[in-house]
Amino acid sequence: MNVFTTLLLAAEDGEETSGIDLLLPRDVNEIIVGVIAFIIVFGFIWRVASPALNEMLENRQKRIKADLEAAQAEKAEAAALKEDYAAQLSGAREEATRIVEDARQAGESARADIVARAEGEAEDIKARAQQELEAERERAMTAMRREVAGLSIDVAEKLVGRNLDRAGQQALVEQFIDELGDTED
Amino acid sequence: MELILAAGECNAADEIICVPESVNELFENPFLGGVNRTMVLTVLAALIVIGLLYYGIVRNRKRLVPSKFGSAIEALVTFVRDEIAVGIIGPQHGLKYFPWLLSIFMFVLVGNLFEVAPFINFPISSRMWVVPALLSLLTWVIFVFSGFKEQGFTYVKDIAWPPGVPVALKPLVGVIELVSTFLVRPFSLAVRLFANLVAGHVMLTLLLVSGWVFISGQGGLAKVPIGAGWLVVGLAIYAFEIIVAILQAYIFTLLSAVYVQTAVHPEH
Repeated sequence: MNVFTTLLLAAEDGEETSGIDLLLPRDVNEIIVGVIAFIIVFGFIWRVASPALNEMLENRQKRIKADLEAAQAEKAEAAALKEDYAAQLSGAREEATRIVEDARQAGESARADIVARAEGEAEDIKARAQQELEAERERAMTAMRREVAGLSIDVAEKLVGRNLDRAGQQALVEQFIDELGDTED
Repeated sequence: MELILAAGECNAADEIICVPESVNELFENPFLGGVNRTMVLTVLAALIVIGLLYYGIVRNRKRLVPSKFGSAIEALVTFVRDEIAVGIIGPQHGLKYFPWLLSIFMFVLVGNLFEVAPFINFPISSRMWVVPALLSLLTWVIFVFSGFKEQGFTYVKDIAWPPGVPVALKPLVGVIELVSTFLVRPFSLAVRLFANLVAGHVMLTLLLVSGWVFISGQGGLAKVPIGAGWLVVGLAIYAFEIIVAILQAYIFTLLSAVYVQTAVHPEH
């Protein structure tokens, strides 16, 4: 037996209790406490919890909506940026192609230039060589002609057995050879 | 306290289950002066409800991502709001009744769960006039008031002289409807909650106390297995009563909403 049991037994001593008592309002204080407790709960929910819930849900809704809109805007911006980059990229590619083309053309023309110059030089060298050759030939011809004339005179002297007018004979032979050369040509 | 009470009065040697002389003994418990256990638990229930909502909703209202506890409370609260208030009464009127529905749901839920709360083990809903009767009366007042507010006198007229019923049957159906709506509804609402919780409390107390008394050997060694049996059954009922406690709170709130709904929407 403890203090609660004793209290209970003491409280029940003077009472006739039966099951129906459970249904009847026996303790008015209990009811008053119940009413007050419920009113406090209701007041709190009505004035504090319910507005707080609405605020919370609205905040969340607003935030989610704002986030979605921001995401949409960023997506559009990214798409625009991407398009921009694509355009820039294709421009760059075109430019690169053009630069390569230009370079090729420049190379080509440089090559043509060099070849032309080289050909010119070669031509010059060839022409000079020809001239020199011609001059050499001329010189050789002249020398040979003179030699031949001398020899002819020597031969003629031996044949004739006398000294001919040397200068006169020389001129004669040279003239002959010239004529000979002319017919030869 | 329940254990001590019942064990102290049980005649373990002669009985096969510990039954108090009067069932009232399971529901009385004066504490100090005029304050009894029910009063303390009623205040505690109110504080718990306020505490849950304060920490779950009010403190969480600025947070974008709610805490785990906040999410749980929010799920409970939005369930009452969306499934009961708006879902039953309708989007037009539902939100107006939400604070009241949430109040009765939370208060009854906590009051019921005291039945299975360790160290408390006493549902305040088993005190007829503290929760069931008071809240049923409140529901009655609210749905009658709503009916008159939304429909005027047509509200009572449509119940007493129901449209769409053959004229010959109208008086009969009218009387049945009147009695059913204005007398039976609040009474059944209160008794359903009260009786469920009383029955659960009586079962749990008797089974668990008997189990304890016999297992502890107060009825002799031969009765120890009987005590073990009572304990097993008691624990099964204990789990069952958790469901009952939640279900009855839901049903009480749901029916309150349904009554309001029939008052504000005449043709449904």
